[in-house]
Formats: sequence, structure tokens, C-alpha cells
Amino acid sequence: MANVLDLRRRIRSVRNTRQITKAMKMVSAAKLRRAQERAVSARPYASMLASVLESLKRRAEIYDPETGECRHPLLLTRPEKRILLVVVSGDKGFAGAFNTNIFKAAANFIAENGDKEIDIEAIGRKGRDLFRRRYPAAQFSEATEETQRPERTRASQVEVLAGPTGVLEKIHYDTIRDVSDEIIALYTHEEIDAAYLVYNEFKSVIQQRVVVERVLPILSLTVHEVERAEEPTLEERERAAEAALSAGVSLYPHEAEAAEKQLEDEAKNFGTAEVDYIYEQPPQEIFADVLPRYVTSQIYHATLESIAAEHAARMTAMDSATNNASDMIDSLTLTMNRVRQAAITKEIIEIVSGAAAI
Amino acid sequence: MADQLKVRLVTPDRILVDQTVEAVEVPGKNGYFEVLYGAAPLLSEIGAGEVRLHGGEAGGQGSVQRYSVARGFVEVLPDRVTILAETAQKPEEIDSGAAQEQLQHGQKLWNEAGEDPDKYAHANEVMAEAEAKLESAGAGKH
Repeated sequence: MANVLDLRRRIRSVRNTRQITKAMKMVSAAKLRRAQERAVSARPYASMLASVLESLKRRAEIYDPETGECRHPLLLTRPEKRILLVVVSGDKGFAGAFNTNIFKAAANFIAENGDKEIDIEAIGRKGRDLFRRRYPAAQFSEATEETQRPERTRASQVEVLAGPTGVLEKIHYDTIRDVSDEIIALYTHEEIDAAYLVYNEFKSVIQQRVVVERVLPILSLTVHEVERAEEPTLEERERAAEAALSAGVSLYPHEAEAAEKQLEDEAKNFGTAEVDYIYEQPPQEIFADVLPRYVTSQIYHATLESIAAEHAARMTAMDSATNNASDMIDSLTLTMNRVRQAAITKEIIEIVSGAAAI
Repeated sequence: MADQLKVRLVTPDRILVDQTVEAVEVPGKNGYFEVLYGAAPLLSEIGAGEVRLHGGEAGGQGSVQRYSVARGFVEVLPDRVTILAETAQKPEEIDSGAAQEQLQHGQKLWNEAGEDPDKYAHANEVMAEAEAKLESAGAGKH
């Protein structure tokens, strides 16, 4: 049996660990609150953009009246042969199953579309590292005068594009715009036939799921086209709720905010008033300019939600770790006391039997 | 006052401005225009430039609030103006150094554009944005 000193040492070490996990949990909770705020304040812009597109759609003649063909390249659908998969993961670990769930969803998607050529673009360090290990990087030759676009030699079914780095550390709309510009360029040059986004959707601490969403081609403007989603189990939700409660994070942050609601309604009506607008530019032109922005805003939105979800996952994981450490300290303390008791009893027996012998 | 405009300036990050003003100047893509109460409904893209709010709540009569904006569009209704812009900054928030860099970057793009019209357009856009930023940053100091 271990001696008292060893046990005391272990207890101290576990206590230190608990201190750290507790601190990490509180930090994540604070960051989560900020991320939530950001996600909420990004909503008016996104919904205004969607509604102005919706209203423009009616006025701008998207389809050529004579040939019936689509006029805007981002609305064109092609048979899906080459797919771009944008995976939004976290930059850091220690977030429970957060990254694993995303990779699982991405891997499932790749397995299901095994007959197609898939490019992966990873936002977030964890995802980039994993996919780089698993799949070869895409090879491009330098762009020449004639071709304009760099030429590509494909060696494998699934390849990894050189994704952006350091996007999540300090998320900024401009960096996301660069990402989406690149995706749009790929699409308009017919180097990909569709673009999907895998990310962790975040509604509240207990309402989040991993979704695969189609970004391009744009088929519908108002609804997000979720291909499939993986919901967390009930148990996971309960754990998350517990963690949120103990960290003082509200579970339903957007409820009972009437002003917020009203704003959102107004945002939905943006640009859709039943009046004849004077268009400074032809509606088609505005429409064509707004469409790429819509894609950007979708990706931006996904990234913001993913960040919030990551913090929530980390908070939950760290709360579990803290609880486990507490349990461990309890059981170790019990063992330590038992050992001490046993030692004392043994000593008394020795003394008593020694006295009896005299 | 009854005949005041509600102005809202919305960026991807937040609602930057939400107040009532007497008039607002907007940098339309085809040039600046000013909107007063009762304007005809209008939808326009905006170019790089300054949104100027005249007689806003915060400043009172005759005051001007300026925001340097780029890339977005504006919806004008008789009693409401909503501006959607990807970037919007107050003149004092503008980092002139960064804007200068952006301008140089734009010039570099312009030089490298070759014969690709898309690239020219992009380079021009970058430069226009940088110039607008510098201009409004400079104007703030006088």
C-alpha cells in the first residue's frame, strides 16, 4: 500500500490540475460570452443582406428571358464532380469532442462522395494539421500569361488546399472576405462545381450541432441549405447546461430581448418595402455585386458561430475535468486517511503487544 | 422635429450608428448624394468615401459626424436610411499608415495587372478605398 506521503503528494498535484482546469473554464466562459455577443451583433447585417437579395431577385432578371439561362455565375448549377469542402475547426485542443466531431462529419462527407474529386480548405489550425497528415497537398504550377489561372495537376482524389492561417485568433471580416473571394474565383472559373461548409452551428450552449452546408451554388437565399446535421446527445446537453450554469453563462441569451427581435424583423424588411425603388445602378448590377457578399457573410457567420461553439465546448470539457479532479481528490483523501489510520492502529497494536510481553 | 431621418449604419460586426439626423450624405458609386426627409425610395451601391450625418442627436444643430465607409449599399426610404457597409470607421480611428500601405499595395496590383480587366478593376477599388481613407483621416486633423 502506498504511504501517506505519496498520497499527499498526489493530492496536491491533482489539486493543482483542478486549479488550472477551473481557470480555463472561467476563461472560456468569458470568451464565450464575447463570442456570443459578436455572433448576435453580426446578425442584422446578414439578414439585411439576404432580404435585399431576395427583393432584388424579383426585379433583376436573373434568367435570360430568351434562352432561360442563368445570368449570374454563382447561381449556375453544374453536375457535382469537383467539390470544395471548407472545414471550420478550432485552433486549439482541450475542447472535448469539438474538433473530433467536425472531423467525423467531414470524413463522412468525403466517404460518401468518394467518387468525386474533393478539395479541402481548412480554417483553423487543428483541421489543417489533421488533413495535411491525411491527404496530399494540391500542386499548382505558376500562373502563366496565357492561362491566367494557375494550372493544377491532380495526384489524388482528395487534396488539401493551402488554406488561410491565423484566421480564428483575431477574426476579421477582411480575412474572411479573402477566403470567400478565393472560393468564388474557383467557382466562377469552373474549377469546382460546388462548395460545402462544415462547421459547428451555435444557437445556445445546449443547442449546437455540426452541420454540412452548401454555400455554392446559391439555390435559395433565405434558408441555409443544410445537407445534414449531427445533434449532440441528451447527456452531452445536460453536461453543457450544468457547465454553463456553474460558470454563470445564460443558456438562452437571446430570449426576452424585445428590442433585438424588433431589429431583426426590421432587418428582414430591409430593401423589401413595397415601393418602386429608384435604382442608381441597374438591379442586375447591384445583384451581381451583392451575391459574393452574401457568400462572404455566410462564411463569416459560420466562423463566428464555430468560435462560440468552440468556447462552449471547451467550457464544458473543462467543467467535467474540474469535477473529475474533485472526485479524484475525494477518493485519494479517503485512501490517505485509511492508510494513516491503519498505520496508527498498527503502531498501537505494537505498543500494546509490547507492553503485554513485559 | 417631425421631419427627421432615421439613419442606421450597419457593418458585419455591429450596428455602428442608429440615430435620427436632419440630413445624410452618402457616397454613392456614381457620386455623393444627400438625403433629406421625404426622399424618394432608392437603392444604390456605395463607393469608397464618407458618410456624413448632419445634425445628429449627439452633436445637435449644425454638427457633422463622419464615417469612412467602403463596399456596401444603401437603401433610402422616405423616413429611413439604412447603409450597409463592409467597413466603416470614424476618421480618428483610421490608421493612416495602414491606409498608405494599402494604397501602395493597390498601386502594385495596378502595375501587375497586365491586360486583365478584372485585376485592373480590383486594383482601382483598392486604391480608391485607401485614398478615401487617407482623405478623411487627413480632413479630421485640420
